[in-house]
Amino acid sequence: MKGSMQLLTVWGRRSPSHTITAIMVTDDQQTIVTGSQEGQLCLWNFSSELKMSPRAFLFGHTSPITCLGKSKDFEKQPYVVSAAEDGEMCLWNVASGQCIQNTQLPYTHTVICYYYCSFRMSGGGWLLCCGQYQDVLIIDAWTLEILHTFNSSQSLDWISCMCIIHSLRIQEDTLLAVSVSGDLKVWDLSSAVKSVQERNNIYEKESKCLQCMNCQTIRFCTYTERLLLIICSDSWKVYDYCDFSLLCISFSKSGQRFAGGEILAANRLLVWTEDGQSYIYQLPDRGVFKSISALNGTPNDTVFPRLLCYMSLTTKKEKSFSHPFVMGFLNERREPFYKILFCGETHGSITLWHIPDVPVTHSDGSPRYIPVTATSALQDAFKKHRSMTDGIIDQLGGTQDRIINSGVTASVYIPHHDMVVCGYQDGKIIVAPALQAAKARLLEEHSVLSKEWLLYKSLQGHSGRVTCLLHLHSKSTNFDVSWLASGGQDSCVILWDVFTGEMIFRFALHAGLVVHMSVPPQNCRPKFHQTVCCLTSDHSIVLLNFQDKMCLMHGRPHLFPVKTIKWHPIEDFLLVGCADGSVCIWDIENGALDRHETGETAKTILSSCDDSHTVLVETVDSILAGTRSPPPQEKKQRSKYKYFAPLSCRGLSVKKCMQYVFAEHSWGPFTVLPLKIKDDDDSFHILLFDMEELLKQLLPEPKKELKPANSFHGFDALRRATRTEEKPAQTLKRNKTATSFSPLNDQVKYFVHEHLFHSDNLNASAGAGVGTTRQKNKYKNPQKLKARTLRKTDVNITTDTVKLLLSCLFPWSVNKELDEFCIENLGIFMPQCAVSFGLLSKQYYHVSLTLPGWYLVSREKAKENQMCNLISPKIVYLAEEYTSRMGSEAASLDVPKDMNIITGRETMSHLLSLVFMVSQLMNLPLINKCKSHPSWHSDSSHQNPRDDSTGKSDLKLTGFHKILLNLNNVVHNLNMEMTPLVKLASHWRDQSVEVLEAVQAMLLAEIQSIMKTLRKTSISSQTVSMVQNENAEIQELPWIEQAQQCELKHIRNIIMTSK
Amino acid sequence: PDRKSAGNFSKRPLFQEEEFKWLLREEVHTVLKQLQDILKEASRRFTLPATGSDSQIKQENFILGSSSADQVKGVLSLQGDAVYQALNLAILFSLKVCYECDETKDISLKIPRSTQALRFSFREDKQWKMQQIQDARNHVSQALHLLNSRDESYQFKTGAEVNKLMDAVMLQLSRARNRLTTPASMTLPEVASSSLMKMFNPPLPPDVLVNFYTNRSKLCLTAYQLHALQPNSNKNFKPAGSSVFHNPGAMFEFGNQKYEVSHVHKVECVVPWLNDALVFFTIALQLCQQLKDKVSVFSSYWNYRPY
Repeated sequence: MKGSMQLLTVWGRRSPSHTITAIMVTDDQQTIVTGSQEGQLCLWNFSSELKMSPRAFLFGHTSPITCLGKSKDFEKQPYVVSAAEDGEMCLWNVASGQCIQNTQLPYTHTVICYYYCSFRMSGGGWLLCCGQYQDVLIIDAWTLEILHTFNSSQSLDWISCMCIIHSLRIQEDTLLAVSVSGDLKVWDLSSAVKSVQERNNIYEKESKCLQCMNCQTIRFCTYTERLLLIICSDSWKVYDYCDFSLLCISFSKSGQRFAGGEILAANRLLVWTEDGQSYIYQLPDRGVFKSISALNGTPNDTVFPRLLCYMSLTTKKEKSFSHPFVMGFLNERREPFYKILFCGETHGSITLWHIPDVPVTHSDGSPRYIPVTATSALQDAFKKHRSMTDGIIDQLGGTQDRIINSGVTASVYIPHHDMVVCGYQDGKIIVAPALQAAKARLLEEHSVLSKEWLLYKSLQGHSGRVTCLLHLHSKSTNFDVSWLASGGQDSCVILWDVFTGEMIFRFALHAGLVVHMSVPPQNCRPKFHQTVCCLTSDHSIVLLNFQDKMCLMHGRPHLFPVKTIKWHPIEDFLLVGCADGSVCIWDIENGALDRHETGETAKTILSSCDDSHTVLVETVDSILAGTRSPPPQEKKQRSKYKYFAPLSCRGLSVKKCMQYVFAEHSWGPFTVLPLKIKDDDDSFHILLFDMEELLKQLLPEPKKELKPANSFHGFDALRRATRTEEKPAQTLKRNKTATSFSPLNDQVKYFVHEHLFHSDNLNASAGAGVGTTRQKNKYKNPQKLKARTLRKTDVNITTDTVKLLLSCLFPWSVNKELDEFCIENLGIFMPQCAVSFGLLSKQYYHVSLTLPGWYLVSREKAKENQMCNLISPKIVYLAEEYTSRMGSEAASLDVPKDMNIITGRETMSHLLSLVFMVSQLMNLPLINKCKSHPSWHSDSSHQNPRDDSTGKSDLKLTGFHKILLNLNNVVHNLNMEMTPLVKLASHWRDQSVEVLEAVQAMLLAEIQSIMKTLRKTSISSQTVSMVQNENAEIQELPWIEQAQQCELKHIRNIIMTSK
Repeated sequence: PDRKSAGNFSKRPLFQEEEFKWLLREEVHTVLKQLQDILKEASRRFTLPATGSDSQIKQENFILGSSSADQVKGVLSLQGDAVYQALNLAILFSLKVCYECDETKDISLKIPRSTQALRFSFREDKQWKMQQIQDARNHVSQALHLLNSRDESYQFKTGAEVNKLMDAVMLQLSRARNRLTTPASMTLPEVASSSLMKMFNPPLPPDVLVNFYTNRSKLCLTAYQLHALQPNSNKNFKPAGSSVFHNPGAMFEFGNQKYEVSHVHKVECVVPWLNDALVFFTIALQLCQQLKDKVSVFSSYWNYRPY
């Protein structure tokens, strides 16, 4: 996987589904974290004025979130742990949105309590987990590994809820838990620490049957250290902690279920229900309690607790009451000492109540109603920041009204043609060039022109919403490049010519909406080469032959939703796995059901045909399959075949898609990734910029197009060289290219090796790239214009892409002058609105995407309409720090001397390489590698007698070597300032500066310094630039010169060092 | 009638709407009632019929390995003690009946070593429960709990709501079924360190491993006879992976000692009520799916969220 990916998100009009199933507030009280049924986490900003706004979406889990919990001392590290239905646990850094750690265990947790005892424990603390398994698990809060268990000696059962008691009086920690069967169990935590170390069994200290069925919450009163509140779904009870005698009981109204509660004060408690009601009760005095328990243990009606206040969700949302509300309570221990009740709802909204410190009834004794203090919904943020939520090509085709009412329901990206195709709610399909669309969507400069400027086509044919799109050629080369298939709610599949916009054929399936389309493996019989397999909402499978325009097979409804479709390559059977674990085997030849199997046989049949290339549809079953990424060898093998898109783009597929993107490099430096959270959600798009790839294309490489074959040869040689780097001297003798490495020390080599030439299929992808462009030209392209743009893009597209990326990354509105400088001289433009960034967690394929309105964090009081994309207010200080630290080196940097170059590739590549470097450095683990390489800066690592001769032959380097040389130059140029940069990066990392913050600060400082240098030199070099402006045709010339100069300089360097 | 062509919805919205309303108002509750009945019946299988006085402990005996050829024999007594104090509560909230179901067993292992049968029985002081059965029972009661949250007076307003409820119920049901049908695959060291191993009185000899699980409706008892490998004979030591059933020859290391499985004895016994429960789960799952399919026919109504 590549670490050089930069993500930008283009959201749609409608917010993604977020059915809240878990909610918590972080200890610093600035972030609310919610987990959803769909498997995503959402981070909300929470201000001290009780304002909330969604900040970021975290993708990673693939099944419903069951619980959230803190997992570190929050002051030190802002970590939160989440657990999902399928047993996956993730540790998130809430500040940056990165996933730190993840694991999958065969346990479903429903409650996680963080326990840490500084004077007893050495490690990072425990996560005490309970859920759908016996007893309590102790999980290491840092590694997420199971350390131990708390066992029970009798009435073993699932634990439904628990809480940790810190008793100040006796300085002992205790774990209280209630099992599903209603037994209260007590474990001693203080002594458990030792037992865990010695790996002794830990049994409960006490166990008592309380008959609390369906227990929801258990809470201990810290004020009195006496009362115990247990909330069951039908009643809440108060017990005496000393002897577990029942003190008070209250039953719920019919049809209402309690969901949780909290103790507010010594004699007041708060209880809430599943349907969003909550009540504050006043308990009778202690004396009364005693008398009751002394009497017979059953409380009578006279000491019924008094209802003081109640809160309720407004009825407007009653319609959506389909899932229990999730509530939580926060008793702030810091300023401004608010008591807050919060509630997460089905449609991704949060409601807050500010509870008075002393809740009282009305004077007549009737309970007082506490109104809602604040509410915030995801969709509100999308509505409010409308400019940020235009879909990628929403501004095209149609009136404003149409845009509002219809979202993108299906979307596909065609990598070889850089086109994005979107299907809409009303059945329209729009095809547009992706990069232009992205520019038009994101940048201010282009938006005015967009409609005339952007070449797009709209295809009309579906009468209902478009449910799936498939570009056939990207999946299998057996199909024509121009073919695009679309399926709709109207149960039709339409075959289009994507270039002309012409409808080729229309199939009516009569089987419900088309859920998914896929193509058979390439090695199936030629007869089936042009076949598409459609899955419909009534669980039937239709095979359509596009060549003969006929239906080959209609597998009539399966009883359960289809989970897997596999094509048996030899016998041409279709293996269909259903949700209930059964398998249907369809004979494609005669369209008959061959066999139907269940149970173990079914499993064996399915697994017998396990080659990834035969899989047409695969949704991973939540429990049975671990979704871990395959080992590298497997991945390599897999990349030979075309990967098949997952059935539905839910959270799972986000991960899958990421894996896919990183497994294959054939997509080029700029990619659009359409995603969906739920089937009936709108699509949104992620723009992926591969900085490595961009850098490679960007650096001057005049001969690359001429000698592709040579370049590959060179590349191979180089790879060999890097592979055998442990024997450098030997390699040097054999291979001249390696000399280019020799002056570089290990660290740079590490960089170059690791980040630039690491991936093996890079070679292949470059080949594929060239191959396809040629292929493209071979195909008869009806639209000559398109063909021309395609070829043109080869030259300009990279620069444009980089400009787009830098435009989005640059911190605008910090300095007016600087903004103008950027627009006028650098050709990077202000975005129309703050851009939603995306952040990739290394190695886990977990993604965090910022939501519209995220930037409000950094400027709460700033003007609404002003463009601002500062990640945080820190940026300016960081930039200053950067300039001061890098100051001397920055000045000595090769800033291009004239105006022409400054707008061109050199500056772009310089900035991009810096962005790349900074993000790489910031992503490094917290070990300062600089220390291990004290000779980091020195250039004299190898002195080879052959260096002189190699210097000469370097002049005849092939195109690829030039790239390498230039990359070296970049690295070399940077090398001058590498040490401070590395130091600064590690310094920033220590201060937990986020990657994007660092990148923005760096950009700000660098562009500032470029501007300064330019202002200085512009007077002196004005004449030169004038001349060059006149010779507009030969503007490319300086490039070559520049490159040669670099080269010469480099050679000189080598010679110098060898002497 | 529930599978209609999805096309032409917009052309006849009125009938569709009426039909959809009827579905939400009447049909959904009918199905929910059926589901409740089935699941109640299923959960009843997990507890023994309470006859006579509450204080009497009910016991059901299963004989594993009844034929004379079997070298391992076990008598398993399933004990279901409905916590009788809880019965009062259970009657009050008739739908939330949660019976306690305990599995303790007496296994007499006859392992022919010098033709003398060794006999072991369960310890009295410790409790052991068959996790698979307990998990299945808990999942069913959770499914019932979910279903109970929508009584007949509750008016469903959207199809999505029905779907969500069905998804939640189906998740619990499929979990319950999976627990019974897929025994945990364990490595031999895991078997050796399991709590079952410590449950016998007299303690099992160190060269015997016992594993006990359900596979579909069968109770299976596997006894592994081990022989310790010499510490110096490291040739071809390959620890076996995790599996439900290990074949002779499988090797593992436990407590700094390497072992090889020399004999495996497996005996099983069909438990009729487990079979019933599985059938109920399957029927309930099908009902849920059918209801979802019915709702999805009307998808154009609830799918569209105007903002």
